[in-house]
Amino acid sequence: MKCDKEMLTHWLNNQLTNAERQEFEAHLAECTACRQEVKEGTKVLVLMEQIQVPQPAAGMEARFLGMLDAYTQSVKKDSIWKNFNSRLQQLWSFQPKLQLAYSLVLLVIGVTVGYLFLNKSPKDNSKEQITMLSSKVEDMRQMMMLSLLENPSASQRLRAVSYTEEITNVNAQIIDALLRTLNEDPNVNVRLVTLEALIKYSDRSRVREELIRSIANQESPLVQSALADIMMKLQEKRSVEAFKKLLEHSSDSNPVKPKIEKTILQLSI
Amino acid sequence: MTELTDNELMLHVKAGDLDKMSLLFSQHHRSLYNFLYHMTHDKEASEDMVQNVFYRMLKYRHAYSGKGEFVTWMFHLARNVLKDGFKKKKRAGNYDELEEVSEKISGGILADEQLGKKQAQHQLYLALEKLNEQEREILVLNKLQELKYHQIAQVLNINEGAVKVRVHRAFNQLKTIYLKMEAHEM
Repeated sequence: MKCDKEMLTHWLNNQLTNAERQEFEAHLAECTACRQEVKEGTKVLVLMEQIQVPQPAAGMEARFLGMLDAYTQSVKKDSIWKNFNSRLQQLWSFQPKLQLAYSLVLLVIGVTVGYLFLNKSPKDNSKEQITMLSSKVEDMRQMMMLSLLENPSASQRLRAVSYTEEITNVNAQIIDALLRTLNEDPNVNVRLVTLEALIKYSDRSRVREELIRSIANQESPLVQSALADIMMKLQEKRSVEAFKKLLEHSSDSNPVKPKIEKTILQLSI
Repeated sequence: MTELTDNELMLHVKAGDLDKMSLLFSQHHRSLYNFLYHMTHDKEASEDMVQNVFYRMLKYRHAYSGKGEFVTWMFHLARNVLKDGFKKKKRAGNYDELEEVSEKISGGILADEQLGKKQAQHQLYLALEKLNEQEREILVLNKLQELKYHQIAQVLNINEGAVKVRVHRAFNQLKTIYLKMEAHEM
């Protein structure tokens, strides 16, 4: 083996593999020049290890612990803030444009009404204006309710259904929308709430008829049971046929089967 | 309970157990300080930078992959801190502490042998000073921090072959400068 200066450096630094080390040491035993180099190199390395570095300040660890504590606190605050922020954003995303418009219209109306009252303008005139304005609010509500009912989020649709309570003049369009929801909405809870909202309009013959027709459409035992309750309350004898059909198609494992049978029996008397 | 490795400790920190960082600090701040001191020759700046490096570890804990080793990550961050923060002061005036040591030696009643040893150390210190930053850095990492070549490669972001070449060159350079100074003294 020839003199390999690079190998010598790595040998001094203890960075050779076992095989390399053995090979180099075999060479070293025979080579005076390399031994001289090793001697010089070792001297330098030993001195290097002995270099004194001034002691760091004693308070360094305490200072670090203080920093760590402050940092941990700020992270906690941060996460609270982030949480708050994301909730705020969620809240915002829950407000579709229509809802925002609704609130704005309400605000404008509030201001206008207040303005009209404060100005004590001729009474009949202000009354007229207020009526006009409240009919606008009503329109807004209806629009919002109808559009929310199309929302992909079930919670938004639940909300839409609940808006019907605020609508004084429920028109055919809204009834249609509610009936469609009752028959087609994929979410059971939405269908149940819709059913509840529709009871209020059961004095309308169309609503009654549609409710009876809906019995055959409902696959969920929960909705079936709710419908049975309603029909009992309304004493709607026309529903017996629909319930009988429902029994024919439902399996024995249906938990509301006994309840439906009882309903049929009581309504048939 | 078995003791956690540095890597495991850091992964705990990453997962949100920030207090584990204090264990890593007491374990490693001294060697980090030594590295920084060799690179800056400024005691206070080095102390500040130690804090800065550990602060960055907290701040960038999510970036810790756990694939490499904790120490290589630490030195990697230390190099960034050096690059970012330390506006190189003119080296003059930074020898104060060392000169203090020399004065103590000459004023004291040290045996000749000890005096000679101190002088030799001082000389090597000066020789190390004469290297460029890159050379000094690799030698400090290799010899004083006792990192293996593959670890140095991770710290410097170069391959192991390049580390070998650089260590060899830097070491030769140091040796040459030192031997020249020694010859001059005599």
